[in-house]
Amino acid sequence: MPEYYDRIFGICGFQDTEIERERSRIERALDKIGVGPEDIPRVEQRLREQHEVELEGVRKILRAWILELLDLVLAKEEGKTVIYYGYPSIQGPGMAISSESGENVYVGCPDVVLCHTVGLIFDKLAPFLEAAETNGLPPGHGLCSLQQIRNGGLALGVVPVPDLVIASSYYCDMGSKADELLHEIYGHPAVYIDGSMDSRWGEFPRYDLERIRFLGGQLDKLFANVEKILGIEVTRRSMKKAMATSRVLYSALGQLTSLMTADPMPISGVVSGIAMNLAAASTGRSMSEGPDALSTLCKEVEGRVKSGYGILEKGAPRVLNFAHSFSDPGITHMIEKAGLALAASFVTVPPGKRDKSLKLYSLGEELAESAMRGGAYHSTYGFAKRFAEAARSLSMDGVIWGYQYNCRPMALGSHLFKQFIEEETGIPTLSLEMDYYESRTYGAEALRTKVETFAEMLRARKAKA
Amino acid sequence: MMVAGIDVGAATAKAVILSDESVTGSVVIPTGYDVSTAAESVIREALENSGRKIQELSFVVSTGYGRNAVALSNKAITEIICHACGVNWMVPEARTVIDIGGQDSKVIGIDDKGNVDNFVMNDKCAAGTGRFLEVMSKVLGIGIDNMGRISLQGTEPCSISSTCTVFAESEMVILRARGESRENIIAGIHKAMAHRVALMGRSVGFRKEVVFTGGVAKNEGMKKALEDELSLEILVPEEPQIMGALGAALLARAEAARRLD
Repeated sequence: MPEYYDRIFGICGFQDTEIERERSRIERALDKIGVGPEDIPRVEQRLREQHEVELEGVRKILRAWILELLDLVLAKEEGKTVIYYGYPSIQGPGMAISSESGENVYVGCPDVVLCHTVGLIFDKLAPFLEAAETNGLPPGHGLCSLQQIRNGGLALGVVPVPDLVIASSYYCDMGSKADELLHEIYGHPAVYIDGSMDSRWGEFPRYDLERIRFLGGQLDKLFANVEKILGIEVTRRSMKKAMATSRVLYSALGQLTSLMTADPMPISGVVSGIAMNLAAASTGRSMSEGPDALSTLCKEVEGRVKSGYGILEKGAPRVLNFAHSFSDPGITHMIEKAGLALAASFVTVPPGKRDKSLKLYSLGEELAESAMRGGAYHSTYGFAKRFAEAARSLSMDGVIWGYQYNCRPMALGSHLFKQFIEEETGIPTLSLEMDYYESRTYGAEALRTKVETFAEMLRARKAKA
Repeated sequence: MMVAGIDVGAATAKAVILSDESVTGSVVIPTGYDVSTAAESVIREALENSGRKIQELSFVVSTGYGRNAVALSNKAITEIICHACGVNWMVPEARTVIDIGGQDSKVIGIDDKGNVDNFVMNDKCAAGTGRFLEVMSKVLGIGIDNMGRISLQGTEPCSISSTCTVFAESEMVILRARGESRENIIAGIHKAMAHRVALMGRSVGFRKEVVFTGGVAKNEGMKKALEDELSLEILVPEEPQIMGALGAALLARAEAARRLD
């Protein structure tokens, strides 16, 4: 018997038989997140207008996200052990833990999953934010909206209270504080990974080896706790196993990144965003559904490139965007409507090569070294330097450094980044105060004047060249 | 050829009618609640002033935050680009524009053709904008048009630690209770705003000539505070408030000519 939601699940790549098979799970999940028949016309319009659902690959990625949402919100009801990790992603440890866990363990990043599903697809995030505002993260205090979404998910009973939280402060200090608050309210165990991203300006890519030893020790402590609390043993072999599982996914992501160097730009940043972030937020559906979805998408994008199809005119200025909005496709489309091709984002920039002579003694140290090499966890300078190098090597016409206004590491460096990138590369940079996770106060309209002016500036500059 | 530029800002709507090489009409009215109505009223008044009819307009460019709500508009262009263009026409030597309007402030770097080569604009916070001055004038019970004149009589500008509109209101209460003169308080308000604009514009730089536009540019106390803060002379066009609308009209003229070709 068809139900009110069948149509949108169909648009999101579910076959009729699958909807039928998953019906009970779908209904319980929709009930939890508060989506009813009255929401369907709006959701359908959003999917058709804001997501390129004519691409099968997009439909498959949306399906993977929705399945991840079902797995997340029903995890406890389905008897699973639940482990959450934070964002910015400490996904390496999450992947390693996941590779050693059976199907009865859910490992993921709930806030990012909620953003990409309840936000990006269903446009129903506001109740989560409001719930968090009465659950210890009040409005007007400049608190991170991503943390509010996680908190709101727990407050509303949408996401289950976890059996373990991996709280990281090695990039974001707000995450660990918010987790501390949740630990106090809900009583679940939390393992805090401490770290230090303080280093002298100009030091990257060099670093003090002690920082690797320290962060590595913290990560090893996490694995010891995972074994102690959940009985899951995580070793270097676990990471190798995870890497082997994820190789296909990351190879497809690499192919997509490479296809996005085409002119005209073949796909919207909304599409590349949902594809890239799936790998960052999920250790389950990203691995089981991701490779096929990505591979389908890559084939379709390749077809577009071969036929010269683009979502923008050929020659549109190409921009390295820090990241695309996690929950509001309207922001990404506004940037594209202004005529800017979102050719790459920070997550698509590969880190430098590892120094093979370096002796690393544990899985924790290996993960710490990889994080340090990535730049963002090294220092503000490391972050800016890698961003500048990426903009230069990808021959970008412009850079959008969209910074989360309520994020200390991002907001503090906001104008420094613009200055640094422009001085280092000569590439115009727009420093854009915004909110990646919710758009109640930083919607597309609030950002439009700056983006349109920047686009006009880049076009004039290109024409002059 | 007759064209028009309409600038619908947060506080005021402005229109400029351009006939061939000269401005034949310009009007400034409060925007009010309804952006579309303000746009219609301002263009109607500007046409009346120039004794022309709407049918005579070959092209209309709208700008300002309400630019996409102007029914008559043939093209919407951001106010940053329009201000740069308007200033370039009025002051060809200008390389920096400081524009302080009702709800935003910008520092715009421009080249010799009036193209924007860099810019920075305030973020969500209304500190450092006309709104800040408006609130302070109400708190102090002084008409906003008199603030500039009064501040120039200040001898020792008070230190206003916060440019947050809400927090600064509390600071006004303390300063008045302490017996500070209104001249020094207002001079302090201007100094605090100028400091904020200077900090914001640092990434763009302040290359000469520096031109000050927007409604706040009519405030001579603010001009002096900026000059003191930046240690350079600042030029203010005769009608600083209509620079965006003027730029829009100039861009309308260029667009109309391009389409004729």
